[in-house]
Amino acid sequence: MFAPEYGAVTAVRKHRLAQARERTENALKHLLRQATDGHAASFTSLQGALRMGDRQLMALTQRLEREGLVRSEGAQFQLTAEGERVALHVLRAHRLWELYLADELGVPIHRVHEAAERAEHSLSKAQLDRLSAAMGHPVMDPHGDPIPTGDGSVPESPGTPLGAWPPSTPGRIVHLEDEPPLAYAQLSAEGLRLGQVIRVVDRSPTRVVLSDGENEYRLAPMVASNIHVAAVTAAQVAQPWPEGVLPLSGLPSGASAEVIALDPAFRGFARRRLLDLGFTPGARIRSDLATFAGDPRAYRLRGTTIALRREQSDRVLVKPLA
Amino acid sequence: MSVEHNCETCPVHAEMAQLGAAVGAFDHVVALAGNPNTGKSTLFNSLTGLRQHTGNWPGKTVTRAEGGFQFGGVRYKLVDLPGTYSLLSASDDEEVARNFLLFGRPDCTVVVVDASALERNLYLVLQVLEITDRVVIAVNLMDEAKRRGIAVDTRSLARDLGVPAIPVVARTGENMMALLGEVAAVASGEAVTQPLRSKGTAAFEHAVSKLVPMIEAAAPGVPNARWIAIRLLDGDVPVEEALASGRLAELVVRQQKPDARFSRKIALQGAQ
Amino acid sequence: MSESLTVTPGDIVREAAALRRSLDAGFREEVVTSLYGEVERITRRAVQDSGSGPLELDQRIDRVVTSRLFGLPLMLGILAVIFWLTIVGANVPSQMLATGFFWFEDLAAAWFTQLGVPWWVTGFVWHGVYRGLAWVISVMLPPMAIFFPLFTILEDLGYLPRVAFNLDYLFKRAGAHGKQALSMAMGFGCNAAGVIATRVIDSPRERLVAILTNNFVPCNGRFPTLIMLATIFVAAAFPPAVASLVAAGAVVGIVLVGVAFTLVVSWALSRTVLRGEASAFTLELPPYRRPAMARILYTSLIDRTLFVLWRAIVTAAPAGAVIWLLANISPGGVSLATRTADFLQPLGWAMGLDGVILLAYIIAIPANEIVVPTMLMVYMSQGMMTEMDSMDGLRALLVDQHGWTMLTAVNLMLFSLLHNPCATTIITIYKETLSAKWTAIGALMPLALGFIVTLFTAAVARAVFGF
Repeated sequence: MFAPEYGAVTAVRKHRLAQARERTENALKHLLRQATDGHAASFTSLQGALRMGDRQLMALTQRLEREGLVRSEGAQFQLTAEGERVALHVLRAHRLWELYLADELGVPIHRVHEAAERAEHSLSKAQLDRLSAAMGHPVMDPHGDPIPTGDGSVPESPGTPLGAWPPSTPGRIVHLEDEPPLAYAQLSAEGLRLGQVIRVVDRSPTRVVLSDGENEYRLAPMVASNIHVAAVTAAQVAQPWPEGVLPLSGLPSGASAEVIALDPAFRGFARRRLLDLGFTPGARIRSDLATFAGDPRAYRLRGTTIALRREQSDRVLVKPLA
Repeated sequence: MSVEHNCETCPVHAEMAQLGAAVGAFDHVVALAGNPNTGKSTLFNSLTGLRQHTGNWPGKTVTRAEGGFQFGGVRYKLVDLPGTYSLLSASDDEEVARNFLLFGRPDCTVVVVDASALERNLYLVLQVLEITDRVVIAVNLMDEAKRRGIAVDTRSLARDLGVPAIPVVARTGENMMALLGEVAAVASGEAVTQPLRSKGTAAFEHAVSKLVPMIEAAAPGVPNARWIAIRLLDGDVPVEEALASGRLAELVVRQQKPDARFSRKIALQGAQ
Repeated sequence: MSESLTVTPGDIVREAAALRRSLDAGFREEVVTSLYGEVERITRRAVQDSGSGPLELDQRIDRVVTSRLFGLPLMLGILAVIFWLTIVGANVPSQMLATGFFWFEDLAAAWFTQLGVPWWVTGFVWHGVYRGLAWVISVMLPPMAIFFPLFTILEDLGYLPRVAFNLDYLFKRAGAHGKQALSMAMGFGCNAAGVIATRVIDSPRERLVAILTNNFVPCNGRFPTLIMLATIFVAAAFPPAVASLVAAGAVVGIVLVGVAFTLVVSWALSRTVLRGEASAFTLELPPYRRPAMARILYTSLIDRTLFVLWRAIVTAAPAGAVIWLLANISPGGVSLATRTADFLQPLGWAMGLDGVILLAYIIAIPANEIVVPTMLMVYMSQGMMTEMDSMDGLRALLVDQHGWTMLTAVNLMLFSLLHNPCATTIITIYKETLSAKWTAIGALMPLALGFIVTLFTAAVARAVFGF
């Protein structure tokens, strides 16, 4: 029980150390976030973010200063260069891990944030470099947040907060802030998603009304400020799906269709594999075989028969041929 | 049922010999690439005399197999790569196949395609052509295609792809000599190919054209700077690592070796 | 030119990263689409498809093979036929091989004795090592020589991907990959080969699930045990005309139990230590091809049969030696084999088995083929492995003399399905995963499951049915 490395005492100590690291990194992350948003971080704002008691937080900030990660000016805290480096590392870990979970492992997007909050404290730089390379050096996390690069620079966030967006001008959603989780949950429950083109219809101190042409979304200003939008290019506007487009899974057995596109939200290895198999726009496809359960189904495409699960065939949009 | 062609007197083997797994010294390396289920392993077996198992299910060749054969007095090492649909997705088997084409620098790559499913198979062919010019296409399963009422014009194929395309039936050994003739010509450098390289969008071509001179400056004489540029743009780790560790330069040296050997041969003949 | 000389690899990678950001995120998709566009143009010029021919036939076959109604029953039927052919066909050649081998053993032992070689050398070489080898060859070679070619025909035909297609739904529900069915099919031949065959699965998580559960399909080395039990305890109640069919049916039943365990354990793994979502599933169903018979015979006999046999021989020779030593070293008049069996007896009883069976499984860690011979050897206390001349004699020995019941038979079948993989498979798991942890889990998890299941069934059987 007391044996080094395996004993309970060591386990408790390890846990303590991990907890200390987590707190340090969360504090640095908060300071970085405040700095990016142009606010100063104070004892109170730290307390709100970390949910710690006075004494504990005091000890933490003193330690951070001692270690040269944080500088205090009066009641305000700022990151030192070293502190910023650590904070960017944690941020990079968080966002890369979110993307990895969402794209490569297919974890539902509303569950990735929580998992990444835990994983971000245990990934080394070398691991992150490999992860980033393996995913083709992505620039955005699944919420549209820029992922810091390995050398510590942050690509510019492409959007404008909705609060500063002129009314009635169409804007494409480029970022849905995932902090606080409650606001994010509301946004995704409303059905707002990356890439959607919206306009502000009405704005008052108590609510913001958005429209995408079909549905209206009524949001509290606090929640709406978590949406970032960017200007819409011509190509993005003129992209209504042709009449009668349906997911491949809905194609009746024996019917033929033309592939229109792959769902933009469908990413990672699975998407690359489908593209490589020739599920490209314009390809002719026929629904061929179904198993006893109706899933998977086999499709005739480019001279071969390929079986897909419903999870994939849902993501292929096709237009049935007469 | 077809008769096994492993007799020395059969026309197929008139000027070729199977060397099995004990290749020993060889003059050229030939890689066998292709989609799964195209009869790649059958071709491998009929050339080397080995009996690598050929099950009819995707991905059954999960490792690289090597064997040898002799043709026209030249000894070849034949490397059977895993069957893949693509070289881009970065699954394990695709990485094995791609790394061999890139770093193994085969003197000739035979891409085996299924005559009855050309549309799927040519996708891989175009990717291989992006990596190397020394390619011969073996249009296999011609008999099966014929039974299905599919006629393949291999001359049109060769014209469009810029590399030789030979119709074969690997199972019966039909037309194997013609295939080997082309392999010999391409491997020795006698036949010069002009592989098709497709163009991307303007922005993409612009990005490629910025990287190519940099790569050529860092590794002068690199065989295919364009392909390396495309892979770097795609964030390909093994290629990045090769670049960083100087293995690209190593590639160049290897690429030039056959020529050195060739000139040595000439020198010897001159001495006699 | 001077500046170009200073370009470092790092510069290039950084420049590439910068350019990548300037490109539209979908650029690689454009590359793929334009490649396929090119492919379509080339194909249109080179290919003339008259649109007639046996593709229709392929599709008609597929409609039946994968149909809702017939897909699964057809699969079970094919499996049953293969087992039946193996059981019926292997009987006579096995007997002939055994007779020949044991005749030679007696001859050689007599010759050794004549030459004045000490009894323990003769015993060790001929009644120990040689007899172990002879047993393994005569029990294993005939079924493998029948099973592997039949299996290879299915493989060459292109039927296996259809099996994977049919079963994928179940694997998906278990959080695993349909291609696991392919590696399981290989596992019927040899679990080590099955573990290697999991390479066709791209997702590391699902591949690990497939590796850890491959042992739940009984391999060729375990079939003799299953076939023996099915023949003695199940088929014996039926008239001889249908007995072999019933035995084949019972073996299929056991295989189905193994498949059920595979699915349940896969499900449990993907909800605990290997948590994750089912990954993408894309599987090509290749056109049916006429199998090349000559090649099938060659590959299945040389590559597979002889390979597996050789492995068994290499492990059986030392095992034969150990068995001989255990049975012949008798401190205090009781052989080591008997002592160990007595020691294991309480645990064996609780599992519905007995100490001898557990001892046999310990000795058979290198190769499962020698389980039955070892058991018989200890039972008969003859000092060497023994073959019974007839199934009736075997039945008399097990049931009448050693108290085997239906519970023993059922639990032995279960334990034969659920125990640690053989040494070769364990080594293969290590080679494939390069992880001591997963190797340990792969070895111990089935064993633990075997203990739990047999302890449970034994307790239930005793409490409810009064065994």
